[in-house]
Amino acid sequence: MSQQFIQLLVSGLAVGSVYALVGLAFIMVNEATGVVNFATGQMVAIGCFLSVSTGIQMELPLGPAYALALIGSALFGIVFYGVVFRPLQDRPVVTVIIGTVMIGIVIQNSALIAWGSVPFRPRSPFGRQVVDVFGAAISAHALFVIAVAFAMIGLLYGFIYRTAIGARMRAVAQDRDAARLMGIGVDRMFVLTWVIAGLLTGAAGILVGPMWFADVNMGDPIALKAFAAIIIGGFSSVPGAIVGGILVGLAEMLGAAYISSAYKDGLVFLVMILFLLVRPQGIFGERIGQRA
Amino acid sequence: MKSLRTIDRRLLAACAVFIAALVLPAFVSGYGIRILNLALISAIAVIGLNFAFGYAGLITLAQAGFVGCGAYVTAILSTTVGLSPWLSIPIATIGSGLMGVIIGLPMLRLKGHYLALATLGFNVSFVIVATNWKSLMGGTDGISGIPALALSGWSLGTDHSYYYVVWAALAVATWCAWRIRNSHIGLAMIAVRDDEIATGAASVGVTRIKVQAFALSALYAGLSGALFAHMTNFVAPDDFALGHSIIYLAMLIIGGEGSILGAIAGSVIVTFMPELMRDLGTAYMIVFGGLMLLILIFLPKGLLSLTGIVAHRLRTLSR
Repeated sequence: MSQQFIQLLVSGLAVGSVYALVGLAFIMVNEATGVVNFATGQMVAIGCFLSVSTGIQMELPLGPAYALALIGSALFGIVFYGVVFRPLQDRPVVTVIIGTVMIGIVIQNSALIAWGSVPFRPRSPFGRQVVDVFGAAISAHALFVIAVAFAMIGLLYGFIYRTAIGARMRAVAQDRDAARLMGIGVDRMFVLTWVIAGLLTGAAGILVGPMWFADVNMGDPIALKAFAAIIIGGFSSVPGAIVGGILVGLAEMLGAAYISSAYKDGLVFLVMILFLLVRPQGIFGERIGQRA
Repeated sequence: MKSLRTIDRRLLAACAVFIAALVLPAFVSGYGIRILNLALISAIAVIGLNFAFGYAGLITLAQAGFVGCGAYVTAILSTTVGLSPWLSIPIATIGSGLMGVIIGLPMLRLKGHYLALATLGFNVSFVIVATNWKSLMGGTDGISGIPALALSGWSLGTDHSYYYVVWAALAVATWCAWRIRNSHIGLAMIAVRDDEIATGAASVGVTRIKVQAFALSALYAGLSGALFAHMTNFVAPDDFALGHSIIYLAMLIIGGEGSILGAIAGSVIVTFMPELMRDLGTAYMIVFGGLMLLILIFLPKGLLSLTGIVAHRLRTLSR
């Protein structure tokens, strides 16, 4: 394998695992609450800019800076729950879609006022350090992103499938009313879902910052790729989001290098539309056939 | 009897509005009339969107893409090919409608947010193609030098004269939409939105109705885009980005989905909103998004429903 190919592979995996995190946030919310959150991208941007505030503007060491930014993102998830989800809950899908799009606009422009239009370049904990992998120079940050993303996914998986609270969350996702009759605090589970969504998107934002720039408009492009990822993977499937995210990341990097850098995003959406038309349940299928 | 009277009253009100609209340019300054033209041009696209979203209940985030199709087709035909705009505008309109059929046939098997995401993908792809296909669509520089309309030697290039072109197009578009709404096609669209399975059981071709609604929506968008291109004499990909699709939906929801008058009112309100709130600067978009959210939560049927509510209150008060 050529050196360039390995580099592209690793950066594709890194970008793809960020998409996987965002896709998971999307799926968690949609599964538990039935809300399709079109402001997911803006939540990623908020996570990224919180790490800018703590890491660059407040000049904290990166450990506490990341922790603070993650806490901030989780709190942001709770605010989102109270301000957006509660009033829009149980409204028609259309209302929720437009509502979350509108709140996305509000968030994005508030971020513009708070942080300005000049992009920041967040530091990586590894600086510009480079690691040798099979003779190819690989940025240490890319490996860090992959490791953290997969650690988070593992933790999430353990939480949902191995703990009592996770079982309650799954119960709420399956049948809200039955869960309530079983004495599960449904509203508390919703809050928890939004906290997890905040953590996942926040982590995605923190990780993606040093790879690209922290720009207030960064949300939508990332969210669009995450949409594509979960459609390719399967809308309600956790492994689907991971595989879909990595496929999209790889397609983006390899497509840009070997096919056309101008049309790399078009390529992703073409694949997404093809999947919607030919295999709408995605690679990993979906429990209930709601799509067509 | 009562329903007949309300229809009569509505028709009278519509006629009054249109006559007022005819004499309006005399009282509006140059910049105001340009914004008004933009509002009316958007209104055509939003009336179209009302077929797909308001009547048939299809969530589409592709309207700006179809507006772009119309704008680019007429731009290419009237500059590179050299056709008269009077010919290129109808071709662009019909071409955009055909595009709606081609896109709609496979995509309309999807529902809800899947359809929203697929149409979003179309809109994003349109902008990517327009940005990168430099030889035909001019890339980020767009296409400039699109000729203004002229009528047997009379130039319709000024904003004041172009107002009447836009006004006439909107009047025809509104009338057609009104006729379609009250025809069996319009009723079938609403039936599909209300209960797809029951409509199918009543042997109405659900897919055909959906494709018709989508194609009509694209047709109106094409006309809107073509008129836009000949007003600004310049098209670029940014004017047809996903954000504009969201604005079109916002216009329809603010005015009142499922209502032609609501579509027009929403377009005018949303187009003029930035002008009214110019002092807010960057904070404008925050206020705009917040207002939209409040309308969605408290007035799900749009601002036009407010008149009904107020009238009802007045009636009960006077009793």
